Amino acid sequence: MKALIYLTKRSFINNMKRAVKKPSTLIALIFGIVYGIFIIVTLGSLAVTVKFDSAYGLIVILTLWSIYMTLGNFMSYSSRKGIIFRPAHAHFVFPAPLSPKAVLLNSAWMNYLISAVIWIVLAIGGFTVFQISFAKVVLLFLTGCVVEIAFEAAVILFLYTNDHLPQKLMNGIRLFIKIFLIAFTLGVILYFRNNGLSLESARALIDAPALQMIPVIGWQIAAYRLIVLGPTTLNIICTVLYLLMVLLSVAGAARMKCDGGYYEEAAKFADDYAELKKRQKNGEMVFGVGGKKRKFRRVSHTIGGKGARAIFYRQLLEYKKERFFFFDKMTVICIVLAVAFSYGLSDEIADPAAGGFLLMGVVAYISLVMSGYLGKWEKELKSPYLFLLPDSPIRKMWYATLMEHIKAFVNGSIICIPTGIFLHVSPVEIIYCILIYTVIQADRLYTAVIAQCLVGEVFGKTGQNVIRMFIQMALLGLGAAAAVLAGIFVNVDFIFPIVLIYSIMVTAAMAVLASLRFDTMEQMV
Amino acid sequence: MLEIEGLSKSYGNNLAVDNVSFTVPDGQAGILLGPNGAGKSTIIKSIAGLLRYKGMIRIQGLPARTTEAKRVFAYVPEIPTMFDALTVREHVDYIRMAYNSDITDDEVEEILKEFEMEDKQDKLGNELSKGMMQKVSICCALSVKPKVILLDEPMVGLDPAAIKTLKEVVQKLRNQGVTVLISTHMLEMVEDLWDIMFVMEKGHIKGSYTREDARGRDLDDLFFAMTGGEEE
Repeated sequence: MKALIYLTKRSFINNMKRAVKKPSTLIALIFGIVYGIFIIVTLGSLAVTVKFDSAYGLIVILTLWSIYMTLGNFMSYSSRKGIIFRPAHAHFVFPAPLSPKAVLLNSAWMNYLISAVIWIVLAIGGFTVFQISFAKVVLLFLTGCVVEIAFEAAVILFLYTNDHLPQKLMNGIRLFIKIFLIAFTLGVILYFRNNGLSLESARALIDAPALQMIPVIGWQIAAYRLIVLGPTTLNIICTVLYLLMVLLSVAGAARMKCDGGYYEEAAKFADDYAELKKRQKNGEMVFGVGGKKRKFRRVSHTIGGKGARAIFYRQLLEYKKERFFFFDKMTVICIVLAVAFSYGLSDEIADPAAGGFLLMGVVAYISLVMSGYLGKWEKELKSPYLFLLPDSPIRKMWYATLMEHIKAFVNGSIICIPTGIFLHVSPVEIIYCILIYTVIQADRLYTAVIAQCLVGEVFGKTGQNVIRMFIQMALLGLGAAAAVLAGIFVNVDFIFPIVLIYSIMVTAAMAVLASLRFDTMEQMV
Repeated sequence: MLEIEGLSKSYGNNLAVDNVSFTVPDGQAGILLGPNGAGKSTIIKSIAGLLRYKGMIRIQGLPARTTEAKRVFAYVPEIPTMFDALTVREHVDYIRMAYNSDITDDEVEEILKEFEMEDKQDKLGNELSKGMMQKVSICCALSVKPKVILLDEPMVGLDPAAIKTLKEVVQKLRNQGVTVLISTHMLEMVEDLWDIMFVMEKGHIKGSYTREDARGRDLDDLFFAMTGGEEE
């Protein structure tokens, strides 16, 4: 254990030293902390505004915390993905003569830290916002930081070190929890939609005695209720059951034998996690660690195009081999956004003329939200074969990104057509919005390439994104301003064509500039 | 001594290693050879305790998964991976603590010097090239003062000087009675090092030779004779 503590301590100290030396990391850290405090203060104010600033308000939060965190933790630990291991663990830690249990408990330090921070925030909030007495806050904090973390550690040991649990049973339990959580979330949303979001409605929901009788999560909720609201027969019995369960779990976990069987999954997770971090570092939006190995369909297709056109046909072949062609998680997000905007905004629009502008706003908003999306084209720039192709840089760029433009057009249609129909927007304006979306997405690709050339790897992917957003917003903002002025002083009908034509002109200029990057592999800075 | 008895390992329905048994005696260097996908890495990872398996692996007579066995066992993986925020020296210091190694500071300095890493002790893991990582990995393994050492493709990424040093180190370890197992494709690099060789194919040991049995024949000849790549 001494060696593991040394490992954690030195890594922490060196990371801190590095953060202090590297201004960008330090700024990001300070920004993160300030942003975190801002969010917490905002949530506190929100609790006061919606009259949640009482002991009952805190109980509502603790109840949701128990349900989501306890079950969420169970799901991640049972699939042996809840603790972060690095490839270096497989090299230096797993083969070492260290207790596999100690390795597990030490590696979960980040999990305990996150829990502790949340409990500190809850304790401060309990005292300042929810008006709980100091003694109760201390007791609540100790329950959270000692009893709950002890239970979490026991669950970690049980689920990671127990090789006798049938895989099918665990998969079944995980599926059940997933369905339960989705059903519970939908139920809660519907409940509050019908009864209104107020402390009274929340109280009626969480006061159900059956909730406290649910093993583990219910008993945990009962313990919080005992501390915060005072004793009742039910919460005393359930709290005793909770404490007994924690004691038994800890004792059982301590006695369990473990010879490091979980190292196999941990090493796999470490590789998957390293891959995830790499992709995130490249600015990609990644959903979850690992996953199943991708299967490709067998297709008979010949790459038809010559020169740079071959890039497009190769991408087409790759997409044909995919299960859902080029429809991916981004398509799902577009569908969800389209449903959300159609459902959420349709009631708000009284004037049909305003619908078109609202749709354009939606298009601009989604373009910003989806800034983390990278397509296949991003990989093209990393391949030396692209630069070896005997063709002009502009043609290489066009054919490397053509598929992205088609995808953007399809995604734009998915978002704009249903939202436009619900907002009573005219078909012509819907088509304008789809085209504007497609052009903005193209502009994003080309501006990203220019930003890469301007700042290189000096400020990393985040710096490149900031520069990209600045250039894009400045240039397109000018066009939007010009369109608004033309709309006010000349004719409102000019707004859509002006925005579209201006965006096309800016994007074409960006494309010419970006094509320089397709000439040599070397960065321009 | 390193003993493998009836080792089997499956990934789903794919049987990667099927009932493999072999022994590398004390003070001898074993070479594990085989084409890609033969199951070498699975055996190596099983010995290092990174996989579940059926069968028995013993290190100095002790089951490989026990702490006592791990204490005298060192492992150099094919792809070295460092802790980003740990310096070269801190990697070595961690290993000394984890293995409760009795290696002295002077001995550590000596090992680092042998691999030309003495002036890079303060470099962080993420500042090292692949070759340097491989050197740190070897230095860490030697800091254990092992009785059994497992080297998976140890020459990959090393410069010629480091390869020469590594060969000398392996010879020295053998002379000290340490059991060495090397898995490699670079036959010419281990030509002078081996005492016993095992050739794997499709999850089985296809055959083995001791240096005496080989009667002066090249590893190349022996390997291709067994795998059918060339006429004997």
